[in-house]
Amino acid sequence: MIIEKHHREKIKKNKPAVLGLLFIILLFVTAILGPFLTRDPNEINFNDKNLPPVGFSIEQSMYNIKTQELEVTERKGSWEHPLGTDDRGRDMLAMLVSGARVSLEVGFLATGIAILIGTFIGVVSAYFGGWLDNALMRFTDVIMTFPFFLLLVLIVYMYGPNMVFVILAIGLTGWTGAARLVRSEVLSLRTLDFVTASKALGASDPHIILRHLVPNTMSSIIVIATLSIPGVILAEAALSFIGLGDPALVSWGKVLNAGQDSLVTTWWVAVEPGMILFLTVLAFNFLGDGLRDALDPKSE
Amino acid sequence: MKKGYIAERLLYTLIIAWGVMTATFVILRIGPGSPADRYIANLGAGHNVTQVTAAIETRYGLDKPLYEQYFEYMGSLLRGDWGWSFSTSMPVIELIKTHWVYSFQLILLSSIFAIVLGILIGIYSAVRKGTKADYIATFFSFIGISTPNFWLGIMLILIFSVRLGWFQTYYDTGLSTFSLANLKALVLPVVTLGTGMVAGYSRYVRSSMLENLRRDFVRTARAKGLPEHVVIVKHVFRNALLPVVTIFMWDMSAIVFGGAYLTEVIFGIPGLGRISFNAIFADDYAVVVAVTLIGAFVTLLFNLVTDIAYTQLDPRIKYD
Repeated sequence: MIIEKHHREKIKKNKPAVLGLLFIILLFVTAILGPFLTRDPNEINFNDKNLPPVGFSIEQSMYNIKTQELEVTERKGSWEHPLGTDDRGRDMLAMLVSGARVSLEVGFLATGIAILIGTFIGVVSAYFGGWLDNALMRFTDVIMTFPFFLLLVLIVYMYGPNMVFVILAIGLTGWTGAARLVRSEVLSLRTLDFVTASKALGASDPHIILRHLVPNTMSSIIVIATLSIPGVILAEAALSFIGLGDPALVSWGKVLNAGQDSLVTTWWVAVEPGMILFLTVLAFNFLGDGLRDALDPKSE
Repeated sequence: MKKGYIAERLLYTLIIAWGVMTATFVILRIGPGSPADRYIANLGAGHNVTQVTAAIETRYGLDKPLYEQYFEYMGSLLRGDWGWSFSTSMPVIELIKTHWVYSFQLILLSSIFAIVLGILIGIYSAVRKGTKADYIATFFSFIGISTPNFWLGIMLILIFSVRLGWFQTYYDTGLSTFSLANLKALVLPVVTLGTGMVAGYSRYVRSSMLENLRRDFVRTARAKGLPEHVVIVKHVFRNALLPVVTIFMWDMSAIVFGGAYLTEVIFGIPGLGRISFNAIFADDYAVVVAVTLIGAFVTLLFNLVTDIAYTQLDPRIKYD
């Protein structure tokens, strides 16, 4: 209905967008099914610590008490831990799968909340106009300028890290862009003939808003949502990276931070979560850009 | 009326600054544990807890009614009394006075790097639109925008510092700020912080240039036989610059502050981000609050300057 056949054709031709979509689907499946297939990401096993990924090997020097010599042994990655282990022997693959779940949850839930609020404020503002429009747009201005992210850091620091809190905080403050976009679209939509006709036929305001205005702004909403998700995922990763992530969850930012300390020896602990984070953000950006090209006839 | 508009923006900024200060007060007072508890938790053993609590409560007026505390809090913020940092044993304001310059230096150098490179790449891919070079630039800008800068920083350290040994990344506060050793230590941080910006600016410059390339005055300029580089620089680029200036200012508040914080953390640059990060781990809450407030105020200031700059730069814009 929103993404029609000719849109699909156009997206199919955009290879980066298709690749992005495939990656996101794969990530979703992994995040949902993965935890049942991998090891426990919190399982500590010091015998298996610092194992490199499959195909890599590192030299490890250990002091042998009996011979009083430094022995250099070669450690090779094994399929038991395909992506290696960290300094406590935790399985990297399991940690990354768990992190995928956290990132997607935060990304989608926070963006979902933001889009709902933004659409509501944008539609109401444009449709009713007058003082209500004025007040709502002033309010949007204030929220836009208010440095919420800094306060979010402070709140998370004071009240203790909690995923629900981060999702709510980002969702409740990140709606301003969507509100402005929806408002500008509805402003031009509401003067169109089909809306006037609908009004003349006695349709109620909620009916016009829900059946005519919101569906017609859907394509823009989808684009802005797709392009907002990577920002949210990055914000969560950054919070976890500086130690303000939910301590009960294994997230990419947290693993990355741990990997930073052992960069000289176990480089993969930092490389892997960052790589997957980068690919995820890239996938959403490619898809969002492709959707915009396909859905918005004005864009170039 | 420009003056009225500027006055309005100024009023907005002041109201929001007041809102931010009030918000921090609410967060601090409603939060679990009184500020006194946080001090005591970090004092260690051997102190008389009740006595210390009482002393702190009197010192900070925590025994007074909430509204009085609020006025005192606002008053002390305005007077520059930002509390005491026990992890470094000095007033928070002194700590900030010594460390802000490192953040400033990092942000300044990264911005110059990003603006120069972003503009050059943007112009080039606009002029060569549709060529291979343009596609490569587009591809890399996607990569640049999507790379989390804290990860990029770690990868740069891994490759250029740990493996190749080209750059040491130790910033020595004993040396002067712009000494060669410190500038060399800033190469990787500047690339880390600047890459995302380069990617963003080159896209904005490109699309803004393309828009202007289609304009009538460009055709006129070409028709009267001006050399192409004059057309590009004088007619197209000058007009393409305005949206870029705005985006840059917006960026300063959005990307740079978050990014600078993380970059300082990774490279151990002793700026405000780093001291706040250390304070989080030392539970030195006065420092965390102070850096939050400063970040918020600077953001507000930048937004204000952006709004005002916009009215000055574009003669077409008139505000009633």
